[in-house]
Amino acid sequence: MRDTTPRVGFFGAGLCITLLLVMAALLLMGALPNTAEGQEPRLSTRIPVGARVQIDSILAAARAAGLPVEPLVDRALEGAAKGAPPALIVTAVARLGQELASARAAFGLTASAVEIAAGASALRAGATAKDLVQLRQLRAGQPLTVAAAVLADLVTAGVPADTAIAAVFALAGGADDADYLAFRRTVQQDIALGASPAAALGVRLQSLGSMADSPAATGQSSPRSNKRKP
Amino acid sequence: MTDQEDALTRMIAVLKQPVDIGPDLTARVMAEVRQAPVPALDETATPERNWWRRRWTVRFGPLGALATAAGIAAIALASQRVGRRAGVESMERSATVARTPGPTQFVLVAKEAKAVSLVGDFNDWSLSATPLTRSDGNGVWWVTVPLVPGRYRFAYVVDGTVWRPDPEAPAAEDEFGRPNSVLTIGGS
Repeated sequence: MRDTTPRVGFFGAGLCITLLLVMAALLLMGALPNTAEGQEPRLSTRIPVGARVQIDSILAAARAAGLPVEPLVDRALEGAAKGAPPALIVTAVARLGQELASARAAFGLTASAVEIAAGASALRAGATAKDLVQLRQLRAGQPLTVAAAVLADLVTAGVPADTAIAAVFALAGGADDADYLAFRRTVQQDIALGASPAAALGVRLQSLGSMADSPAATGQSSPRSNKRKP
Repeated sequence: MTDQEDALTRMIAVLKQPVDIGPDLTARVMAEVRQAPVPALDETATPERNWWRRRWTVRFGPLGALATAAGIAAIALASQRVGRRAGVESMERSATVARTPGPTQFVLVAKEAKAVSLVGDFNDWSLSATPLTRSDGNGVWWVTVPLVPGRYRFAYVVDGTVWRPDPEAPAAEDEFGRPNSVLTIGGS
């Protein structure tokens, strides 16, 4: 009497196992690139693959550190739009990543993404991490974005960094965003009219100080404008 | 030859003789196996619990293996696509939440231009995302973009090739050899 139970023969079992292993390998090969964390889809068509891998690793590190990633992506896309060499784009993104980390350390863990980005701009302009810490202390409980951005703008406009920092600190106590923006606008108008950046800033600071000292100005901050102009 | 060697030779000769195990050995062995008591899986367990703990023998042929692998691959690929779509939607949602839009107008005078586009941190520096509209006859190009408080670096691109900063806006840092302007929008 023979056992009639159907069996998978040696070749049949081997074939089954081989098929399963091949399919699993194919599955893994297809899945790995898609499941890797940190890949930014907006870079895929605009950044060459070699640079993209490096930028993706910078983005992944930034995410892991809790830093805003959007400014880094923007910087990479800016470089791509301007036709910059891939190596230069990677360098720029990496540098910005370091500045974002320094700004976040200075502003604290509760700082928003736009505050951190503005802080990074201020650092790029010439402020130090210590300056940002002081700015945060002077503007405790108030947003830091515009103050840091105006600092960066003033330095970019030609105002010496230490002078611009002193001006931003002088406004830090009571000025709101509109005050900062109005201050920057008037300084830049003066520069456009021919004043030296340092002199323009000094004059505007002095006028703010005299306004604050005058009894008529008590309770009123510097003139403000609701009109949004670049 | 000693007595011991002689006895050993005779024992070996006996052991070398063929043994007739009969044609029904398999049937007899299987009958014994079937009659042997089957150990209980768990005396205290209910039949349902035993069902979960019972060992199963699964047999399938090459076609079954192929079908199983194809099914697993299909499920995995489908889950990846769903995951990617969810990631994109998550980004879009977070962008919407983070950016309550407010209109900001950008204006450039470029009388000879045939086309002007706005590029910046707010549109992924895309040359095609934000074209400006030309007012009739005066060379004034304009576009309105919803922006939330923040600091934005931007530029105009004239006729697809010429990068121009905004003459009315502060200059911004640039690392790639083409000029930028900066727009800061306050929120407090």
